[in-house]
Amino acid sequence: MQKKGFWQGLYQKLASPKLTVVIFLVLAAASIVGTLMPQGLGEAELQRHYGQRAIWFITTFGLNDLYHTGWFRLLLLILCANLVVCTIERLPKTLKIFRRREEQVDPEKLRKCSLNCQFISKLSRDETEARLTKIISEEFGALQRFDEADHVAGVAEKGRWSPLMVYVVHLSVLLVLCGALVGSIFGFKGFMNILEGEATNEVMLEGSDRGLNLPFQVRCDKFDVSYYDNGMPREFRSDLTLIRNGKDVLKRELRVNDPLTYDGVTFYQASYGAILKDADVELTDRESGAVRRLVIPFREWVDIPGTRDRAQILRFDEDFRGLGPVIVLIISRAGGEPSGSRILIERDFHGNRVENYNVRVLHAARIPYTGLQIKQDPGVWLVWLGFAAMLVGIGLTYYVSHRRLWVWAAADASKGTINVVIAGRTNRNEISFEREFNRLCGRLQAQLGQEKGGSKP
Amino acid sequence: MITSSILLAITTFAYLLCALLYLAGVIFRRRTIMLWGTITGAATLAAQMAGIILRWRESYQIGYGHAPLSNLYESLVFAAWAIMLIYLVMEYRTKQRALGVFPALFAFLAMAYASFSTGVSSKIQPLLPALKSNWLIAHVVTCFVGYAAFAVSFGISILYIARESKKKSGGDAHSLLPDLRQLDELNYQMVLFGFLWLSLGIITGSVWADLAWGAYWSWDPKETWSLITWLIYAALLHSRTMKGWRGSRVAWLSIIGFGCVLFTYFGVNFLLGGLHSYATTK
Repeated sequence: MQKKGFWQGLYQKLASPKLTVVIFLVLAAASIVGTLMPQGLGEAELQRHYGQRAIWFITTFGLNDLYHTGWFRLLLLILCANLVVCTIERLPKTLKIFRRREEQVDPEKLRKCSLNCQFISKLSRDETEARLTKIISEEFGALQRFDEADHVAGVAEKGRWSPLMVYVVHLSVLLVLCGALVGSIFGFKGFMNILEGEATNEVMLEGSDRGLNLPFQVRCDKFDVSYYDNGMPREFRSDLTLIRNGKDVLKRELRVNDPLTYDGVTFYQASYGAILKDADVELTDRESGAVRRLVIPFREWVDIPGTRDRAQILRFDEDFRGLGPVIVLIISRAGGEPSGSRILIERDFHGNRVENYNVRVLHAARIPYTGLQIKQDPGVWLVWLGFAAMLVGIGLTYYVSHRRLWVWAAADASKGTINVVIAGRTNRNEISFEREFNRLCGRLQAQLGQEKGGSKP
Repeated sequence: MITSSILLAITTFAYLLCALLYLAGVIFRRRTIMLWGTITGAATLAAQMAGIILRWRESYQIGYGHAPLSNLYESLVFAAWAIMLIYLVMEYRTKQRALGVFPALFAFLAMAYASFSTGVSSKIQPLLPALKSNWLIAHVVTCFVGYAAFAVSFGISILYIARESKKKSGGDAHSLLPDLRQLDELNYQMVLFGFLWLSLGIITGSVWADLAWGAYWSWDPKETWSLITWLIYAALLHSRTMKGWRGSRVAWLSIIGFGCVLFTYFGVNFLLGGLHSYATTK
């Protein structure tokens, strides 16, 4: 018994619209925390920026990877449950209203509608009936009639399916979340850097240090960047060849905003860079004045000719604080402890020296690489479907409302005139409907009263 | 020769004039003055449109060739334009002139910020490769139509709260302003309209991001803040179905929602960074 009570209570909680609003606000608040707290910080970075207590708090609640924590997903799950339960609760009622056709009109009820107008027609019954039908059909929509011997009655309506659109929007949210779930379970996201001229099938997975091997190889035949006058990159592209079982299966150039899909895997031109191949360096010995020139391959020790010293390029950066490309050169004198310094490649700089050598880089030979983003997402079509449904649903909710108009007209035997009652109701956008209703009533009054000149303003 | 910068400079002051005319009309309760506000607003809108088109042409003459929707300056200009356009359409459809003060003021503030802030460069700049796509126009236009609708709704909400507190303290009803029920209804319509366009904006951005970066959602600060905004307005739309939540609570939610819009637009650029960093200034 008690258990049933719990489930019933839970079900009722999930059916409440208040819960919807609360989840929206909680999700919003959680998302705000996620944007204020830098995401993706590792253990080391946390140690550097935060105290012990804060780190405990951050790691316990997963604030450094908030959007992927269990509790954030639980919130989304509650939202879904809320959506489903509300739909189960309300859709049958909405469908009932949707299916129901009205078959009679009660003039007393019409008089109680907030939007109603009553006037007297001085035309004959036939003429009144004809004009009512004609004008309402013209201005509003087809009038369904269910007259009886002593009166004329009818209803006209527009946008009868508009209340259903809310359910389309709700379904769309479920579709998008399902698509995301499918993608996160069955898909992957990663990147690969390919040196010009080389081929690889290794993908570094995002957010993990694991790799993944594609069933085919990707070769970068050529990589190219063009620039604007002001130095901003204008465009970059790679000429790619996909190789399967030793055979070229696809050749295509890859550009930003123009991805390539093969075998369910999509490649995006994401970034680029260069690694250093070697540098042509001129070393001037400040003591002896001797000038020596040598080519130093990246990360290899090279003997400086005529000495017992050795040099190595430890690092290469395409740009160092806006000063242009730079290498870190280390020199070890006569087998001793090496010492090093940053050498600006494109500038003459008094700090371009290591040990007793002044250093000038004559040429730095680079090998460009292309940075590709790679993903496989079998759920993406569900997301697109959800997006489409969402737009249709919200769009029609905004542009179409369910508007109904009732008419009732009966003869007043004592005066020989006909009493007309008109009422209207809408589920949304009352102001514009009110205007429409008043215009229609004005026209009806003018037309039905006009024969004997007794129309009211 | 008329250039886009001259036209847009004129626009800035014309919006100020427009806002002052609407305000004078409301204060002195003169419909004629408000009609002049409308006329000024419509003329300014046309001049600004011409300015935007000219700037588009100028960008082709320089050789960059892109729609003027690519940086903070251009988006501010477009935001001002969209606010005024949406307001004038609403004015035409509801015949309510007295609501023009806030939209005209917001349009002026956006233009003034774009023109006079030292942090906003009005130079026509070339496009980064990531932005070279027709999705740029679709994404920016839809987002900013949404933002503009929320700005108009923000104005209506302030008016609602002001009127309500005046009513409570027994002040007289202003004959030219819509009553509370009408304001609430207008506010709801405007928020629903904005919600439609914000959804469109998020969706176009999402589809584009999938095309450019291979991820339709990456919890980038801008994305996340647009979602926060979406959630707040979704809460607003749902809260209206609950009893007792019409009126001032909805107005307050709309004000909070517009705060989120502003943070999505400016706060994220200046404080949080991320994938949208080209939307800042330099």
